[in-house]
Amino acid sequence: MRITIPPYLQKGDTIGMVAPAGFMPIEKMQTCIETLDGWGYSVQMGTTTHSSSQNYFSGTDEERLNDLQQMLDDRKIKAILCARGGYGISRIIDKISFKKFRKHPKWIIGFSDITILHSHIFSNYKIASLHAAMAAAFNDGEFNNPYILSLKDALEGKPAHYECEVHAFNKTGVAKGQLVGGNLSLLAHVTGTGSDVKTRNKILFLEDVGEYLYNIDRLLLQLKRSGKLDRLAGLIIGGFTDNKDTERPFGKSTYDIIYEQVNDYDFPICFQFPVSHSKENYALKIGAKYKLSVTDKVSVLQEI
Amino acid sequence: MPSGIRSFSELVVITLGVTCELPETSKNRHTSVKNVFIPVNYCCKLWQEVFLVSPLVYFVQMDRKYFLGTAATLLAGTAVPLKKSYANNNDEELIYRKPPYLENGDSIGITSPAGFTTHMEIQPAMQVLQGWGYKIQLGNTIGKRDFTLGGTDEERINDLQTMLDDPKIKAIMCARGGYGSIRIVDQLNWTKFKLSPKWLIGFSDITVLHNHIHNNFQVASIHSKMTNSFPDDWNTADPIQIETIISIQDALAGKKIKYSVIPNTRNKWGNGEGILIGGNLKTIETLSGSTSDIKTDGKILFVEDTGEYLYSIDRMFWNLKRTGKLKNLKALLVGGFRVKPDDPGEEFGKTLEDIVLEKVNSYTYPVCFDFPVGHQKNNFALKCGVKHRLSVTEKEVTLTEII
Repeated sequence: MRITIPPYLQKGDTIGMVAPAGFMPIEKMQTCIETLDGWGYSVQMGTTTHSSSQNYFSGTDEERLNDLQQMLDDRKIKAILCARGGYGISRIIDKISFKKFRKHPKWIIGFSDITILHSHIFSNYKIASLHAAMAAAFNDGEFNNPYILSLKDALEGKPAHYECEVHAFNKTGVAKGQLVGGNLSLLAHVTGTGSDVKTRNKILFLEDVGEYLYNIDRLLLQLKRSGKLDRLAGLIIGGFTDNKDTERPFGKSTYDIIYEQVNDYDFPICFQFPVSHSKENYALKIGAKYKLSVTDKVSVLQEI
Repeated sequence: MPSGIRSFSELVVITLGVTCELPETSKNRHTSVKNVFIPVNYCCKLWQEVFLVSPLVYFVQMDRKYFLGTAATLLAGTAVPLKKSYANNNDEELIYRKPPYLENGDSIGITSPAGFTTHMEIQPAMQVLQGWGYKIQLGNTIGKRDFTLGGTDEERINDLQTMLDDPKIKAIMCARGGYGSIRIVDQLNWTKFKLSPKWLIGFSDITVLHNHIHNNFQVASIHSKMTNSFPDDWNTADPIQIETIISIQDALAGKKIKYSVIPNTRNKWGNGEGILIGGNLKTIETLSGSTSDIKTDGKILFVEDTGEYLYSIDRMFWNLKRTGKLKNLKALLVGGFRVKPDDPGEEFGKTLEDIVLEKVNSYTYPVCFDFPVGHQKNNFALKCGVKHRLSVTEKEVTLTEII
């Protein structure tokens, strides 16, 4: 399947910033704006980034939809960075018009709830997008860390080459394929909908935050039972942070749970890859072709 | 494969003017494709050789890999990529079977397919069920524990399997929900159950079993309280506890269901008739895309959940909508949702009723809120896979079993 890679950014290009899901005060986006500015881009703030919303969302469905729509349609904007995830893409995804975006693709940047947008675009329009840090990750002096800088490199078109330490649960081997994935809960949530992703011959990556252990087990079983694990080229397990347990303990760690569910497959598997809700979160191009090489010394994910 | 076609299931063969979709084979890599008709008078390349297919319909049996290579050549330019119909929710042609109702002296098995339970905890239920004239057969998972589960997967499979296969057992009551049914559902052998169905009883995590047998075997089952909800002391129990437990007795004995509900002012009025199906909303979402996923066209859907944030409930209703499960319903029953309060500063700003109605406002079927089903005391027995009529008016809501 051919994938369209949106044009990489040039100095002076404009990045639009929107909040298509949860609310975020604009002060918390300041470092991100300054950093993007420092990288040589000008930042155009969407109306949802300075919203007067008093509830969970950064604006009504209509406001969030219009803001994102306007950014998608504006040809001057070369990339759209979602300031925050949270919850809200499900509510507007079927109302977004991708007509102009398909003709003039641009980079959509974000993760967590933005997984739905990535999956939807990949499945329906075969356009690559960027699973990467959002505004909050730039704060607390982190704007210069390797994970944030990986977003800079990605936008400039430098091919990714990420290394990560070995993990006892890894399965060695080499896989080549398009990269798909994101937040486990949301990949499960879009199963059976028009934003569902086909995973055959692809490298799948998963991460999640704040889930009950039993639910991680259930979500993996959903992926498995809907045929999404059967014929992967490779599997990347990122961070599963701030997990919760039930009153009666589940009795296994997250990685134990995942290992038990995927151990029978013969494709390479890399645990503890730096993609997560914590700062270890490399920019990953969904839809682009990568090579995953898992050995007993190191795991490498590189763009090819 | 021809460009634009993403998967095998999307290949469409045009045969003699008839369009047929090829079977979904994602479950088994080596599934052989049988009975594939190759278009008449088609020049095709088979095993590097060129054949002119005779005007007779060519009948082939071949394995998938071979077929794909062939099909790609054969169909280049003629195959039509269909937009996958994500919302295939129609099984209205199917006939649902009711297991035999129970007679005095029949046996009910009690097992733990999900969370663990102790011998002590099931005593009240045992006494009540025996008082109704039934024998109890205790599964060996009762009293077993593997952390939160009622025994290892193997132990839970074996126990439930024994009960499914034992012809003396006429109904199986699950001890409790929790989590675990999904871990064993694909390993169960349903051959004997299909031949001689029996009543499966439970709710919450047991939604996995209800939906699985509904979708695969079209057998009715009872969505109701389980052994952990029977009152310790019948004499001091709330009237509603007694009433809901009696509703299980009535359902097992074959008494037709008829429940009246106090109307919620936000109900949508109307009448609807259809097969009843549903259960725990989160569980229904996690079955999406699997073989246990329910089809809802022409049916009455009921949903309930507990301990979820409003945003999460909203997301789950979007899943129902986006998987096509709300579009062609005959009625929607919204049961109890013990909503987890929003975190400060994260107020969702919509009520449960708002969340539901915005998804279904364009549809004409009736919607009933506060239906007595869920993780609460007023959780009445419902027969999944059985035809019901729902009538919602300003003054009254009634759910009646018909046929």
